[in-house]
Amino acid sequence: MGEVSRLFKNGRIATAESSELREADVLVDVAGIITAIGTGLSTPEGAEVIDCAGCLLVPGMFDVHVHSREPGDEHKETLATCAAAALHGGVTGVVLMPDTSPPVDSGNLVKSAMDLVSEVSPIPMFQSGCLTKGRQGSELAGFSGMASRGVPMLTDADRTVSCPDLMRRCMEYARDFDLLVTSHTDTPALSKAGVVNEGRVSYRFGLPGIPAISQEIAIDRDILVAAHTGARLHLQQLSTARGLESVRRAKEAGTKVTCEVSPHHLVLSELDIKDYNTHFKFNPPLRSVEDNGALVQGLIDGSIDLIACDHAPHTEFEKSSDFGSAPFGAAGLETTVLVLHDRFIRAGVFGWDLLIQRYSDAPRKLIGQKPVAISEGTEAEFFVFDPAAETTITRDYLRTKSPVSPFIGETLAGAIRGTTLGAAWYPHEA
Amino acid sequence: MSDTGDIIREEILSPEGIQEAIAVMARDIAYRCAGDNVAFIGIYTRGVTLARRVAAVLKSQGLEYPVGTLDISLYRDDFDNRGMDLPRLESSDVPFALDDTRVIIFDEVIFTGRTVRAALDGLMDYGRPAKIELAVLIDRGHREIPIQPDYVGKKIGTNRDQYVKVRFHEDDEREGVFIVEKRSGQTPHPA
Amino acid sequence: MSELNPRKDLLDIESLDLEEIEYVLENAVPFKQLFQRSVKKVPTLRGKTVLNLFYEPSTRTSSSFEVAANRMSADVTNFTISSSSVVKGESLLDTIETLQAMRSDYIVIRHQAAGVPGIVAKHTGASVINAGDGYHAHPTQALLDAMTIREVYPEYKGRKVVIVGDVLHSRVARSTSTLLNKLGIEVAVLGPGSLIPEGRHEFMTRLRSWDEVFDWKPDAVYLLRVQMERQEGQFFPSIAEYHKMYGMNSQRLVRMRELGAYLMHPGPVNRGVEITDEAMRYERSLISTQVENGIAVRMAVLHWLKPETDKD
Repeated sequence: MGEVSRLFKNGRIATAESSELREADVLVDVAGIITAIGTGLSTPEGAEVIDCAGCLLVPGMFDVHVHSREPGDEHKETLATCAAAALHGGVTGVVLMPDTSPPVDSGNLVKSAMDLVSEVSPIPMFQSGCLTKGRQGSELAGFSGMASRGVPMLTDADRTVSCPDLMRRCMEYARDFDLLVTSHTDTPALSKAGVVNEGRVSYRFGLPGIPAISQEIAIDRDILVAAHTGARLHLQQLSTARGLESVRRAKEAGTKVTCEVSPHHLVLSELDIKDYNTHFKFNPPLRSVEDNGALVQGLIDGSIDLIACDHAPHTEFEKSSDFGSAPFGAAGLETTVLVLHDRFIRAGVFGWDLLIQRYSDAPRKLIGQKPVAISEGTEAEFFVFDPAAETTITRDYLRTKSPVSPFIGETLAGAIRGTTLGAAWYPHEA
Repeated sequence: MSDTGDIIREEILSPEGIQEAIAVMARDIAYRCAGDNVAFIGIYTRGVTLARRVAAVLKSQGLEYPVGTLDISLYRDDFDNRGMDLPRLESSDVPFALDDTRVIIFDEVIFTGRTVRAALDGLMDYGRPAKIELAVLIDRGHREIPIQPDYVGKKIGTNRDQYVKVRFHEDDEREGVFIVEKRSGQTPHPA
Repeated sequence: MSELNPRKDLLDIESLDLEEIEYVLENAVPFKQLFQRSVKKVPTLRGKTVLNLFYEPSTRTSSSFEVAANRMSADVTNFTISSSSVVKGESLLDTIETLQAMRSDYIVIRHQAAGVPGIVAKHTGASVINAGDGYHAHPTQALLDAMTIREVYPEYKGRKVVIVGDVLHSRVARSTSTLLNKLGIEVAVLGPGSLIPEGRHEFMTRLRSWDEVFDWKPDAVYLLRVQMERQEGQFFPSIAEYHKMYGMNSQRLVRMRELGAYLMHPGPVNRGVEITDEAMRYERSLISTQVENGIAVRMAVLHWLKPETDKD
């Protein structure tokens, strides 16, 4: 697949720096290096020409919140299908959550996970580690061993370290290794058996609610612990306006805190949950329309550092039970770029530059990786996007094992034509 | 209950013709039931009107018979075929003891006989009359079960697929007995 | 004949339009009249089967449906599944498969999880009647409550009903209030702040004490059952305090008499908690009427719904 050079002809290059698009041809040599960018490039002998007329060339996205499910839950997803889904969605690198079975809570388990990744994955996948042993929230996991294996972050993935004392010790200990502590912000004593945002919708559906304060209190607590300990803190999946306000205040005060938002918390609200559709069951839950607006604003003004999709595959069978019993989460890697383009870029709310900053640059920087751009002398890492086409999200469209997505059945503006990573080119089937 | 979409093809009885037929029925009942403990039961909707009209004629002659009502919807044998017509139930009212009573059931038309079969079942859940008879304004033939009327206002010959409609001014805009053509799409209700 | 579209399932009150509500409530009246006959049965559903599928024990509701189905000559199978024998959620689709094979015409279902009757309805041709799902809905309870109120107040529009107790965890409060609101009846709620959610229906006026209730001049007071095992200590300090603050006692009964207000309760009552023995004997108590109307309304519902298993 890689033994050929490729000329991406007549595309328009998107960058993080500017919303201006540069019309150019991009030549990628057999080694996967971009050797020339310019208009009217001649086609080298034997090169494959990819017609990009009307299309954009966009730097590969990077998602720091992905559940690969392997090992342990390969019926939901595997590393291979996860990587295929990422490439299919224009994502060329991910951070894997440690909530596999067994949970990745030691250096040895990080090593075996990375070994598996290098065997099966065509894209870089960084394995994160647990904060506490077995994600049980009672003892510190093996920080130094995991640090020596290069974990990008520590997190108990979908579980909060509910004991404030233990969270403090986590941060104190992580600080000395300069490890990023990542928090799923939730207060279990408040969210209890909740499954939707507490409010009118939870009342109507007769479902136990998760109050906004469940996340807001956890955000405040972790920010205070971070400020107290001086550790680096990353907050996962902001869902409320008030939580965002806390982050803004903390940043102004100089606390080392970053945060992410998931596409579903930007574009969907609790009002979109119809007929007990479990594809809309998320943790944190979909909140109010006002929260959607505040989060979009936070994303634009930079209070929210980055986008992460929380790719959480489940089988259709698992999601076919009642709303209360069905697991939280849905697949996201293949819909994030399409949905954000459809709802925001096309609507003029923000440009490609912002999407690249928040979903390509910032996530890489968060874990100490270099941002990628389409420039001469660098490895090719971009996808081809046709804004004039459209994509209907169906089971057949998705490469993930999990046909669970709130966007199933939707037709979105724009289509990804293919993704190139180094010398490899992964075209979408026509 | 007005079938607004019906197209009238032929008038069989005028309002005057109906009154004459009712008078015939009243005379027949008075003669044959003399001395008996008689009560009328009208089947909703127009059987009730018919029973009341006959009772009124007899009352003017000094014969007073009580009139009860019966909704036989719950006794029909075609409940599965209710289709788009959701039956609105009426209150059945049998305000007299049936035992030792000669009960005359009234219906406006007898056709297949199935409505009367349902009425017999319904009536007998209220008690055990000494005798049950049947009075109809129109007998149009084409019976599907062995039930025959005892008192008939008028007997007419019809085709199996025609519709015979009795209209009373109490229930409808225009009184008369008509052969009508149904709006397309309606399914016949066996009467 | 009416222009109503036939409906396969009864899952909640919100999706019913006023015409459908009127239809069922009006048909329930002739059904209730049948109870005065020595033969209380009609042959309407002869040969049809009704499956009473109860994942939560409820003798009252399941018996009421059973009596209703029997009086329409349907064959009833009672199926009570203790939640302990079910792997939570997982086996629901398998259970539905089994139900399909039984070829029931009507499935009456009670389940502890909101939304389950809807899932069953989607996967079966039988008419599904929600007999209570989680905190979500209990539509036949709402219909019987409305029938009961309409009997005592034929001019029911603009009347006032106050619902007292645990509005947060009550599917009865949700369904009954929604129906009363659709019928143009005003609804208020009284109960501890911890059990009166902010997200409740906008039309539910919050009253904070019995004094406020009596100043509001309700035409009926609807007491909800206190779920004692669930709430004591969590949502209010003690049963004794609940009784003192929100229970129907002799002093409050005096005010009820002055107003001529009716008393309702979905049953079963906790004597000495939400209601005293004395209040149980209140001459304007509609509690046993509610039970009787429950059968009539459920007959009207069985008569109304149209399973796909009907041949036509």
